Amino acid sequence: MPKLDLVGAINLALAQEMERDERIVLLGEDIGLNGGVFRVTDGLQKRFGCERVVDSPLSESGIIGTSIGLAMAGMRPVPEIQFEGFLGPAYDQLVNQAARCRSRTRGAFTCPMTVRVPIGGGIHAPELHSDSPEAVYAHTPGLKVVMPSRPYDAKGLLLSALRDPDPVIFFEPKRVYRSLKEEVPEEEYTIPIGKAQVVSEGTDLTLIAWGAMVSECLEAIDRLPEEVSIELIDLRTIYPMDVETIVNSVLKTGRAVVVHEAPRTSGFGAEVSSLIQEDCFLSLEAPVQRVTGFDTPMPYYKLEKAYLPDADRIVAGVRDCLAY
Amino acid sequence: MAVADEVAKRAVVTKQNTNGASASLHQAGTNGQSASNDGQIERQRLRLMLLIRRFEERTYQEYSTPRIFADGSKEVKIGGFLHLYSGQEAIAAGTAALFDKSRDYLITGYRCHGASLALGMSPHVAMAELFGRATGCSKGKGGSMHLFDAKVGNLGGHGIVGGQLPLALGTAFAQSYKKTGGVTFCFMGDGAINQGTFNEALNLASLYKAPVIYIVENNGVAMGTQVERHSAEKDLAKRACGYDMPCRNVDGNEIDTVIAEFGKAVDRARAGEGPSYLVANTYRFRGHSTSDPLKYRSKEEAERARQRDPIGLYEARLRDKGLLSDEQLEAITSSVNEEVEEGIRQAEADPNPPLEARFDDALAEKYPYSPK
Ligand SMILES: Cc1ncc(C[n+]2csc(CCOP(=O)(O)OP(=O)(O)O)c2C)c(N)n1
Ligand SMILES: [Mg+2]
Repeated sequence: MPKLDLVGAINLALAQEMERDERIVLLGEDIGLNGGVFRVTDGLQKRFGCERVVDSPLSESGIIGTSIGLAMAGMRPVPEIQFEGFLGPAYDQLVNQAARCRSRTRGAFTCPMTVRVPIGGGIHAPELHSDSPEAVYAHTPGLKVVMPSRPYDAKGLLLSALRDPDPVIFFEPKRVYRSLKEEVPEEEYTIPIGKAQVVSEGTDLTLIAWGAMVSECLEAIDRLPEEVSIELIDLRTIYPMDVETIVNSVLKTGRAVVVHEAPRTSGFGAEVSSLIQEDCFLSLEAPVQRVTGFDTPMPYYKLEKAYLPDADRIVAGVRDCLAY
Repeated sequence: MAVADEVAKRAVVTKQNTNGASASLHQAGTNGQSASNDGQIERQRLRLMLLIRRFEERTYQEYSTPRIFADGSKEVKIGGFLHLYSGQEAIAAGTAALFDKSRDYLITGYRCHGASLALGMSPHVAMAELFGRATGCSKGKGGSMHLFDAKVGNLGGHGIVGGQLPLALGTAFAQSYKKTGGVTFCFMGDGAINQGTFNEALNLASLYKAPVIYIVENNGVAMGTQVERHSAEKDLAKRACGYDMPCRNVDGNEIDTVIAEFGKAVDRARAGEGPSYLVANTYRFRGHSTSDPLKYRSKEEAERARQRDPIGLYEARLRDKGLLSDEQLEAITSSVNEEVEEGIRQAEADPNPPLEARFDDALAEKYPYSPK
């Protein structure tokens, strides 16, 4: 089985699905000839031609809008936005058009597209290139929001997204792009959207994370004394959230800490935390804790470390929650 | 709050300047200070271009070559994203010749080092920002795309391609509202004209007769996509034909042409006749950013471009006119080098911003909760 990083796993999934489904068309800035800023679409234009891997000028609104039209006409567009900050110029198309296509037309038209977007910090990039806006899009009815933490999941989730009947924002944590390799099967497999994964089982406390924060959580678990038994949940899909897995875990452990890179206020951690208190109130031994980014834009890379939650801060959050 | 104070101060200066004495000053300014007999102004312009080039090339070094210390440890002083201006100097330096710091504005994209140095930011302050020092113009918390100087109307670097176009319309609106006689220079890359903001901003600017000058720094490529592949109309000047404003191509490598052509637009804007759109055709010697493998350009193309290096062209012109001797050029070059090195030395010695400072400036208020 080949060992692939996140870039390789996504590239493989795209290539295989393009082979299988002629309706798939990729669009984006410098995705063809150059293979994309992170080289995720490397080689695909050569293999599938310029009509299926379309280099676009600097026109995010146009890229997403074209994709919506393609989708409404029965195609399966996969636009790439180079960095999460550039969703800004495309916000209207995404939120006011794509997300409402099905409900606006009461199902007469739908928008099956997968918007691929690198997300998050940790690669020394400036603001607009290091943000974590997943909650913004999870707050938009009509969109699905997915964020894999590892190559194996990326392939399986991406195949599900490409076959999903509705628009999916597929966030790819930049920090993970090249940081970790694992075995990714050649053969086809899917991971359902809306299904979290219990990464490690435990009985004392539930850690909930997604994207690049999952490996920080694993490191935090390593640093905690062995007798502390932590259950780590990788959400994998932000929306629709896997309520069942979270609730079952917290009913067992009685304590929960949510970790995300995004700013604290109205981050998706607030949603998770609220859900836990609604469904697990009588089992809770402590208030749900959040370990998050701060309510500021990302600073210059020299201060990046001091912004992003890391294993130390997660350990501190876990200890607080356990000591309550 | 310091920035707001600066802006307020500037507004006061601006008011004074609108009356009386400054009017004649500004007329002289519109043509660029007229050439002096002994060539002092011309040599200043050459010096500015050399300063920008030297700064950028030293910046590139600091980014790509780690410093090695006595104990064997290594440090790279600049990281993150870095977009260099080498090759495009005549545009920023030509604009500086027309720019009235008491009432004009300049706004640009992320490739903002050249414009900032041209408007007088010291190499020290700019380098301190790139080194992430507290003395940097954005307190060391922004980096390469974040060079601003409120005192002189430098509205600085903007990371969203095309994001600055409507902003320029707003500052120009304010200038005409306050009757300052000021103009706003808005730089953008050739790629930026494909954003939706282009249409909105140019149409509104013309409707409002806003004193704004839209300047495309056409270096022929947007990241890895050449103009031929990103613009349906290859003559980029024509892209603004539908807005009832002057639109022209300008040789962006000839500083004298830049000054003359931009100067006409400045005159028009100051006279209340509205915006202009100019395409300054130029070349970018370095990659899009420092991680650009430059797959899209040939050696021959780069070599041809070197023949039209704005600095080389201007040097030759000044020599022809007898305004520049070998000794003078040597003196200019060494003073530029010294200024940049001194800036680097100072920036190195400066302190980093305190860690708590990362919570400042999101809002005017103090950070709302104690961060965990
Ligand atoms: C909205 C948006 N989309 C994409 C980018 C990524 N990006 C940064 S610069 C650039 C190319 C811009 O080219 P151009 O406008 O010609 O300016 P130049 O780099 O040549 O100075 C791209 C695609 C961005 N910063 N903002
Ligand atoms: Mg360009």
